[in-house]
Amino acid sequence: MGLDVQTGADAVAPTPPERAAIVSPLRAYAPVVVAAVVLALLPLAFGGSGYYRTLAIIMLVYAAYAIAFNIIFGGTGQLFLCLGALGGLSAYVSVVLTQDGGLPLLVTVPLGTLLAAALGALFSWVAVRRNLDVIFIGIVTLAFSLVFYNMVQGLRSLTGGETGMVVTGGTGTPLRGAVSYYVFVALLVAFLALYQLIDRSHLGWAFRALKNDELAAELAGIDVARYRIMAGAIGAAMVGLTGALYVHHEGFISPSVFNFAHLDVRVLVVLAFGGIGSLLGPIVGAAAVSVLDEFLRPLGQLRLAVYGVVLMTLFLFFRQGVVPTLAAATHRVRDRVRR
Amino acid sequence: MAIVLDGIVFGLQLSLLAVGLTLIYGLGGVLNLAHGQFAAVAAIIGAVLVGRGHAPLVAVTLAVLAAGLLALFIDRTLMRPVYKLTGEARVLLSLLLTLGAAFLIDGLLIYYHPSTALNLSVPRLGLDLFGVRMRGSSIAASLVAIVVLVGLMLFLRYARFGKAIRSIIQDEVGAQLCGINPGRVRTVVFVLSGLLAGLVAATQAMISSVGSTDGLNFTILALIVTVVGGLGRVSGALVAGLLLGIVYTLASFHIGAFVTFVILLLAAIATILVRPSGILGKVS
Amino acid sequence: MLRVEDLHVAYGETEVVHGVTFRVDAGEAVAIIGSNGAGKTTVLRTVCGLLAARSGRVEFEDVSLTGRSADRIARLGVAYVPAERHLFPGMSVAINLELGAYPKKPDPERFAYVYELFPRLKDRLAQLAGTMSGGEQQMLAVGRALMAGPKLLMLDEPTTGLAPILAEEAYRALAQLRDDGDVTVLVAEQQVPLALELADRGYVLEDGRIQLEGRADDLEHNPDVQRAYLGIA
Repeated sequence: MGLDVQTGADAVAPTPPERAAIVSPLRAYAPVVVAAVVLALLPLAFGGSGYYRTLAIIMLVYAAYAIAFNIIFGGTGQLFLCLGALGGLSAYVSVVLTQDGGLPLLVTVPLGTLLAAALGALFSWVAVRRNLDVIFIGIVTLAFSLVFYNMVQGLRSLTGGETGMVVTGGTGTPLRGAVSYYVFVALLVAFLALYQLIDRSHLGWAFRALKNDELAAELAGIDVARYRIMAGAIGAAMVGLTGALYVHHEGFISPSVFNFAHLDVRVLVVLAFGGIGSLLGPIVGAAAVSVLDEFLRPLGQLRLAVYGVVLMTLFLFFRQGVVPTLAAATHRVRDRVRR
Repeated sequence: MAIVLDGIVFGLQLSLLAVGLTLIYGLGGVLNLAHGQFAAVAAIIGAVLVGRGHAPLVAVTLAVLAAGLLALFIDRTLMRPVYKLTGEARVLLSLLLTLGAAFLIDGLLIYYHPSTALNLSVPRLGLDLFGVRMRGSSIAASLVAIVVLVGLMLFLRYARFGKAIRSIIQDEVGAQLCGINPGRVRTVVFVLSGLLAGLVAATQAMISSVGSTDGLNFTILALIVTVVGGLGRVSGALVAGLLLGIVYTLASFHIGAFVTFVILLLAAIATILVRPSGILGKVS
Repeated sequence: MLRVEDLHVAYGETEVVHGVTFRVDAGEAVAIIGSNGAGKTTVLRTVCGLLAARSGRVEFEDVSLTGRSADRIARLGVAYVPAERHLFPGMSVAINLELGAYPKKPDPERFAYVYELFPRLKDRLAQLAGTMSGGEQQMLAVGRALMAGPKLLMLDEPTTGLAPILAEEAYRALAQLRDDGDVTVLVAEQQVPLALELADRGYVLEDGRIQLEGRADDLEHNPDVQRAYLGIA
């Protein structure tokens, strides 16, 4: 099963990118285009209402986080429990450098993104160095979430601490105002395209191989370590970019936005809904979660409890995610009807 | 010197907190991310009972038992499907399900008791140790921790059930062949971990207040100690707890609270890189 | 005592044991012989509860064993000594033996009996099981299995990794066990001569099926058996 060196290597090596490329670029990127069009037209549905626009942007942002998590976890099985911390770190760095350092957004946002990417790579590297399993990544990243929160508190003079601070960096850019919606649509579409690009590339093939059977992949010559680190870096960069852009759009930054119990929990629910490893799942999941979030707003802190229940239920009964499970079920029904 | 002693006091709490977690891992290869929440629940229940006029000792005992009960409930419900899986799938599901449980408990606690906290006052006697004046609360907390930890070590080493626990960690199949039921043992240990977490809430409450928001912190601290001590090694958790307690207190005093956490994270990372089986090295 | 009927066992989709039927009566010693991969280990592991059967019946003293957990079956009086032994490496000989009696308190008489069978264990009570040689580990594994006072003792290739002298010594101990009459013995073995010498009856298992069965003496003189396992042309 895993110890038969010969068959393991053979099973993985022969058809790499060619197999993915069997699906023509048209078919692969069509969903991305469709999503782009739908999202671009969405504003018509809320007719200029700032409220719905805000809601939609939040949905886009969570979808973006979810795609990043999809690449890290769905692609290489690394459970990064520090999305909020990564996004928050990038955001704070970008804000501080812009406001206190006087650097332009075009410099500070990439810097924040790079920092997040570096950390993502670091965490992956640590776990990979010793060929260790899921647990260590989970623990290290969770610890980092704690570190992030404490750093924000500790560097109060820089960060404004618990109360947060106003962000002026985005004024005058497309990140403010009605256009901001399209900025985030562009971001999300770019992420979707990136996801597909990775999936169809050498990277995606390597990811599938090492998720399928790590030992066989190693023996087939795949440098598992390198791919894990790449996934960690890319995903973390995406999270960092999203976080930084978001605060410059919002005009306000505080640790609560990037709290583990705020951001990470919602991203997990998004993926539990939408399915880990599906392209459009994050969007569907994010839409569901945004609606749910608004609907439950009067409950305040109790929402955390609801999400906890949702997570447990979903991972108990819909291991693949609600969307894929339902999709599979409808396929089965359709097949049965055909006969 | 005073700081080192304070570090030991804190370290004992950390050891107590981590011991249950590391045992659960050793027995079943799973991690309970709701561990800290057991302590938080105990703290809140204790605080509520004390607030209603019950004697602190009674309140705390009931609170610790409640934590144990909660652990029993989670083991019987969430952990059943987890143990049916093996390897990485098992670990993942345990992390995700217990995370969900942690969110549920935190959400409920923070919503209904946002500012409730447990505070236990200990008689004001002081004691001189190595020339340092120790507060009654520190002494009490440490004594409880020492007694329980020593008791646990003795139990694991000499009691028949303790040996059964160790046997499962060393060779689960062998244990089954000896007529030991791993599932039942895991449940007992899970409940034990809940009781221990509840106990830490009580001992910490002697020193500072423990409230509804402390759950996640406790969990993460316990996780770091567990990793540094070596997953599944009780003796490792003990040593790591003391060590990290001292490091934490020293760093907190000299540098500042927030950098301390960075140091703890670095300690965990360093352990993984240099001594993945924990500071005590490989099990012979 | 032990009755196995039409046992089918599969690993995932692949069936490896196809309708095996055999029995072991109280006080006997029975051998299941066959080459590597014949399915002997699979059969024993299924009987003792470490594997689930796809279909078939396993009965021990009229109690059905199918679907029961391994620890439950062990407590019913069926002791299994696997080829890998599965000892507790970080624990001493004494504690390994002690745990064999779980959940009961270890009986001093049982200890005495085990020491009588394997005097070398008595000399090494404090030694960690993980540091012992192959032969000593084998003795410890059998000794541990005996501590619970089982009615049926099943051994899977007890001579694995043992020098011939030690293998013979092991079988002498098994013979004494059988003669003392307390334990019924079922041995799965690749080293056929030793097994057939000990056993009263035997079964030949190949490709997941019982190919031959009969009294040990008859099997020993069976020309096919001689050719396949005894190296006699």
